Amino acid sequence: MSMAPVPRSSKRQFDFDIFFHWLFWGGAFVVLLTLGGLIVLMATGGWQAFTTFGLSFFDRVVWNPVKDHYSVVAPLLGTIVSASIALILAVPLAFGTAFWLTNIASARVSAVVGTAVQLLAAVPSIIFGMWGVFTIVPFIARVLQPFFNHHLRHVPLVGSLLTGPPVGTGLMTSGIVLAVMIAPFMTAVMCDVFGSVPAMLCESAYGLGATRWEVMRKIIVPWSRNGMVGAIVLGMGRALGETMAVTFVIGNVTVVGWSLFAPRSTVASLIALQFPESPAGSIRLSSLMALGFILMLFSCASLVLARFLRGGRK
Amino acid sequence: MSKSSQAAPERLARWRPDRRMNRRRHMDRLATWMSVVAGAVLVVVLLSILWTLLSRGLVGISWATLTHGMGPPGSGGGLGNAILGSIIQTSVALLIAVPLGLSCGIYLAEYGRKTNYFADVVRFVSDVLMSAPSILIGLFVYQLVVVPWGHFSGWAGSVALAVLAVPVIVRTTEDMLRLVPTAMREAGAALGAPRWRVILSLCLRSARQGVLTGILLALARVGGETAPLLFTSLGNQTWSSNLNKPMASLPIAIYQYAGASYDDWVQLAWTGALLITFGVLLINIAVRLSARR
Amino acid sequence: MNVGLTTSPENGSSADAEAALSVRDLNFYYGNHHALHDIMLDYPARQVTAMIGPSGCGKSTLLRVFNRMYDLYPGQRATGEVIFDGMNILERTVSLDILRARIGMVFQKPTPFPMSIYDNIAFGVRLHERLSKSDMDERVQDVLTRVALWNEVRDRLRAPASGLSGGQQQRLCIARSIATRPEVLLLDEPTSALDPISTARIEELLDELKEEFTIAIVTHNMQQAARCADRVAFFYMGRLIEVDTADRIFTNPRQKQTQDYITGRFG
Repeated sequence: MSMAPVPRSSKRQFDFDIFFHWLFWGGAFVVLLTLGGLIVLMATGGWQAFTTFGLSFFDRVVWNPVKDHYSVVAPLLGTIVSASIALILAVPLAFGTAFWLTNIASARVSAVVGTAVQLLAAVPSIIFGMWGVFTIVPFIARVLQPFFNHHLRHVPLVGSLLTGPPVGTGLMTSGIVLAVMIAPFMTAVMCDVFGSVPAMLCESAYGLGATRWEVMRKIIVPWSRNGMVGAIVLGMGRALGETMAVTFVIGNVTVVGWSLFAPRSTVASLIALQFPESPAGSIRLSSLMALGFILMLFSCASLVLARFLRGGRK
Repeated sequence: MSKSSQAAPERLARWRPDRRMNRRRHMDRLATWMSVVAGAVLVVVLLSILWTLLSRGLVGISWATLTHGMGPPGSGGGLGNAILGSIIQTSVALLIAVPLGLSCGIYLAEYGRKTNYFADVVRFVSDVLMSAPSILIGLFVYQLVVVPWGHFSGWAGSVALAVLAVPVIVRTTEDMLRLVPTAMREAGAALGAPRWRVILSLCLRSARQGVLTGILLALARVGGETAPLLFTSLGNQTWSSNLNKPMASLPIAIYQYAGASYDDWVQLAWTGALLITFGVLLINIAVRLSARR
Repeated sequence: MNVGLTTSPENGSSADAEAALSVRDLNFYYGNHHALHDIMLDYPARQVTAMIGPSGCGKSTLLRVFNRMYDLYPGQRATGEVIFDGMNILERTVSLDILRARIGMVFQKPTPFPMSIYDNIAFGVRLHERLSKSDMDERVQDVLTRVALWNEVRDRLRAPASGLSGGQQQRLCIARSIATRPEVLLLDEPTSALDPISTARIEELLDELKEEFTIAIVTHNMQQAARCADRVAFFYMGRLIEVDTADRIFTNPRQKQTQDYITGRFG
């Protein structure tokens, strides 16, 4: 890994090569330390909660600051369900948009919309939360929820999933807001991977008489499957860990239930809201740290998965 | 039988789609329509976000909003101290993150090729940090800085933002340095330049456009972050440029005001949201323009 | 598949033979760039017509007109007529999927699809026909045999096509094209990315294929044109300079530009 040694003029001189090597190495080492520190501090912070509650930390449905008894079930479930809703909505949206931009839209439309989508992938997440409060919450509270409550009340299963108090906040609302937040990002990545399919490969398929959709489904999608799944997993990672967009619209109630429209909470929103009220050294703070540690594991797992599916970098 | 002498109806039949082909065409049309609908939905939603921001935020933009500090409801307060706090904290964050990110990126690109396992681990760790939920970065810096010092501070906020910025800088620096052709390094070495000079004066210089882009992207990323500041710099209602004290910032001010029940506070929140979004978008547009050149 | 009987057996005077493709007053534009000027050319049925000329002379462009590949790209357009089976295929009303099923194309570089060898062949067939498993197996074996690939791949039909060598991949692509039973086969420098042995194989293959298909081949390699083609068309700067039997083009060209090119004085 080293270049051919350059003869140095004299031995007295300070060896800049070694100095800079260690300087750059130091930068790399600090980055390593940062993640190490992050994980260790989370784990030690949450240690008290893990040992105090033991297994009940994972199998009881309770988050009770009065009795000081906590478990991760409600917020974890909220995180997973809202991220799942977000993915279910965002993946078809992103896939369809990417198909449209790369294969159907005219060059000018594609350039304009593509740039807009990429720019909006950079909008701070708090904006999506405020937008959700302003548009999605009233829509669900005044239109969708009364409609579902009226028509689906007596339908088994679907009824219990889709009815609830018409407050507008809840899992569905945050799922929609998260979907809107991650869709531009996923669209941008999918456009990139679709664009990287060799033109000659697509032409070969067209040359055999395939339609656009057949080329998409049988050539482009198989070719770029790994990149697409990577995009989806990265989007999922963002949805799982998002704080600001969710805190505004989730309702922040730590219970568990069937309804997708009732207020709930997620790991990140719970940390954001309850952390300021949790005194240092309290079991509540420790429980929040433990939640953070679990969220970090989720985040690492989704990254490992994304990298594995993409077959490493590049 | 030769084709040109065949009867016209037979020839037409060869050009006419059969049922199978008609079905394929319907499928194609259906998929096309659905993708256009998906694209339209996304465009409409994104326009709705922009429209909401503009329609609610634009009315609040005034000299007073930009220059007055935050104040109690009805007192004609502005966002001046929050804007100042954001500028100070992101600047300090970049001052920390740029040297760190650059040296880590240089290490990965110049020393970390092939069988350097340490570099592989660092590369992975940097990616993990890049995709880590930002609120956890806040928790981490709270434990790391706030707890030992015993109080919230602008320093803590800056460190949290720096932790977010470093992986972005690392990634772009490494990618850009890898684009520098090996021939350039060899040419430098052939002239007798020591390795550090080759890296700093040749590689880094020829990649400086891309490296600068990475720094701008990092700025855009941390500029709008709220979650990592919640438990670090906390926010502050008054003018303060003291990094040892809790410090105001635009995202935190938006967060505090958006849920308030006072109309002028909510208005300030939207104005702040508009400012921050267009600030971030401007940086991104600048990145694109510089990348095109 | 009807194998015709009107082909004139000898090499000469092919213009009298029935034309599978007739190009009339064809002009082609890439945006504002006028790439082909007033091309008039017949492609006799079941013969090999080679198109030669220096890079950028428009020969590949012409090939891509025949299956309307240029339709994929905005800004590219063609005027004039290309008559195929009684239709002007430049008309908007022509259905591209049918046209492309009847006029197959093989590209410069081998383009195996990201799927198994078997599925590469079956891909095009499945688009247009519904075959039983055994019929499909038969078709796959048939076309692979005809491109002399069957014995090499019969044990690994389910393996990814990307595992084949370059020459094998290109033969697979030819097999894929003929599996849909087209009438015309377009070959765009099919051997430019291959080694001499693979090239020789493909040239042999062309000789057999022309009994059934009308073949239009673009090539940079003059020897190849001389070896494989019945007729040769020389293009220069977007214009058709000369077209004649391979013999006459290479021994006694009428135009000076043709002579200069084949003797290597330019291009």
